[in-house]
Amino acid sequence: MQVFLQNWIYLIASVSLIGVGLYIVLTKENIFRIIVGLNIIESGTNLFMIAIAWHPKAVMPIYTATDHLAINGKVIAADPLPQSLVLTAIVIGLGTTALALAIGVKIFEKYGTLDVRKIKEAEK
Amino acid sequence: MNIFNNAALLIGIPLLFAFSIPLFGFISKQLTKWVTIFVVGFNATFSLYILLAHKFPSVVVMGNWVPPFGENLYVGPVAVFLVTVVSLIGLLIAIYNLWAIKGGDVTRFSVLFLMYIAGASGIILTGDIFNLFIFMEITEITSYALAAYGPERRALGGAFKFLVVSSIGSTLYLLGVMLIYTQLGTLNIAEIAARIGQTTPGLLTFAGVLLVSGLAVEAELFPFNGWVPDTYTGAVNGVSAALSGIGAIAGVYALFRIVMTVLGKDGMYVLTYGKLDLMAVIAILATATVVIGELSALTQKNVKKMLAYSSMAQMGLVAAGFSIGSTLGVYGGIFQLINHSIAKSMLFLIVGVLVAAGVGERIENFKGLWKRSPFLSLAFTIGAFSMLGFPLFAGFWSKFAIVGASIQRGGWYDFIIGLVLFASVAEAFYYLRIVTYIFSPTEMEKPKIKVNLSPAIPIFILAVAIVAIGVYPNLIGNFSMQSAGEFTHKMKDYVLNVIPTITAH
Repeated sequence: MQVFLQNWIYLIASVSLIGVGLYIVLTKENIFRIIVGLNIIESGTNLFMIAIAWHPKAVMPIYTATDHLAINGKVIAADPLPQSLVLTAIVIGLGTTALALAIGVKIFEKYGTLDVRKIKEAEK
Repeated sequence: MNIFNNAALLIGIPLLFAFSIPLFGFISKQLTKWVTIFVVGFNATFSLYILLAHKFPSVVVMGNWVPPFGENLYVGPVAVFLVTVVSLIGLLIAIYNLWAIKGGDVTRFSVLFLMYIAGASGIILTGDIFNLFIFMEITEITSYALAAYGPERRALGGAFKFLVVSSIGSTLYLLGVMLIYTQLGTLNIAEIAARIGQTTPGLLTFAGVLLVSGLAVEAELFPFNGWVPDTYTGAVNGVSAALSGIGAIAGVYALFRIVMTVLGKDGMYVLTYGKLDLMAVIAILATATVVIGELSALTQKNVKKMLAYSSMAQMGLVAAGFSIGSTLGVYGGIFQLINHSIAKSMLFLIVGVLVAAGVGERIENFKGLWKRSPFLSLAFTIGAFSMLGFPLFAGFWSKFAIVGASIQRGGWYDFIIGLVLFASVAEAFYYLRIVTYIFSPTEMEKPKIKVNLSPAIPIFILAVAIVAIGVYPNLIGNFSMQSAGEFTHKMKDYVLNVIPTITAH
């Protein structure tokens, strides 16, 4: 069966983070809270990516370091690729958050409020 | 496998110049706009050269790591054709921006515009699903910033809405990519496409749903298109034209590259692996998009908002054409996509000129436009006729091909005939209403509208292109036909061109 399902506790945590984030984005009316919700979704995704690559008994994926670390006669190395992808995803998340906050500041300057409903009323 | 590494310049040159534009900005702000034109012009020329000198299908191999071990770009018929269209439309919009973008931070606008072109070209050229995510983020983050540009405060609301929806979308896409990675341990599109049959069907279905919902945001499919009206209305017109002319092409391409090439099965009609046929799901979403988009456009009094809803509906028609899954259907879809980009970006540019001349965005303001500016009136009419699929205009041939494909497929896909006809009737209603207003005789004496050379050139070229395609559809049709095969015969036309030694499992 899939090796990555053995990290079920992290997978459940990541999926619930994504759920919490989606809930915040969909229900909150304050722009700042929506941005926080987006960040929680991103953290959930990053945790998910790490969780599928890692195993409790895994060793670092360096060829020479795995010589004397065998479990049941078999060496399990952590998968380095998702971890490098997570770095990219974190940077992209940083960029999105920075831009979202900048737009949020501008919205506050122009409308005088961060409430999505009041902004919609001001438009009409 | 032909290696043609120079094609990487299509992404590299815009990125290089995007980050060096602030240096040109020190000399003069006007210069940055000329640099943009020069760079996008290079992209247009180089991609036209690849298209006409038939340098495809070939692969860009980065650092001599042959696929599937390294990241690669695939320069196939679809990629070259769409990059050419994207950079030509980008060039015309850059020429328009020479006149339109005056106030504000011109230097940073040029940086963002070039990065937008680079990101869109990257989405189309890449051969790796994680790179697709990165290029998608480049395109999306630059388009939030571009959409927020401008003096009007409504731009900010639109941009923020777009940001929230599409960053959730790209997160879902990333989750889908990682689920596929857990199954196959690779991110290369060609290798995944060949080995997709080895995956667990349940997990693959879940991953497929995540991928489709992530990509449908950029492709403007219901229910992920809530951002469209606000963002298109709020953005300055050059940016709305870029969003509908460039972003839409990249979004639709990404959606169907994933659904048809990565998840699809070869055959007479493309179906997808997994427990759910995603092509049918997309057909249903596309139908909902067309119906909702057209009905909302009918009631709009603001021309920009109407164009935005119409753009949504047209994207639905494109997706419906693709979702038929036969070569003719994909041909119709690509053809419709190109026609829509040409006509809709022209309409947005015309609205931009009219707003700058003080005419306004309401439908009533268009009354008697014919006497004030025959050139803009004629161009708007040509665009409107192409949109609603009037014979002898570009839009007719693509709608005709989509109807033909749905008749050919038969079964419950027959409803797409009705869908196209419904769309045409609704479009006829709201576009012809404006055209009637334009040609209605009015007594009011208002000054004539002077159109500067720099917005006039792109509008003229796009209008001529619509008429030319309408009279001689093979101009685009031949390339669309060539491209359609790449989507429907994925092993022969995609996978084996990238990794010649692989066999399908």
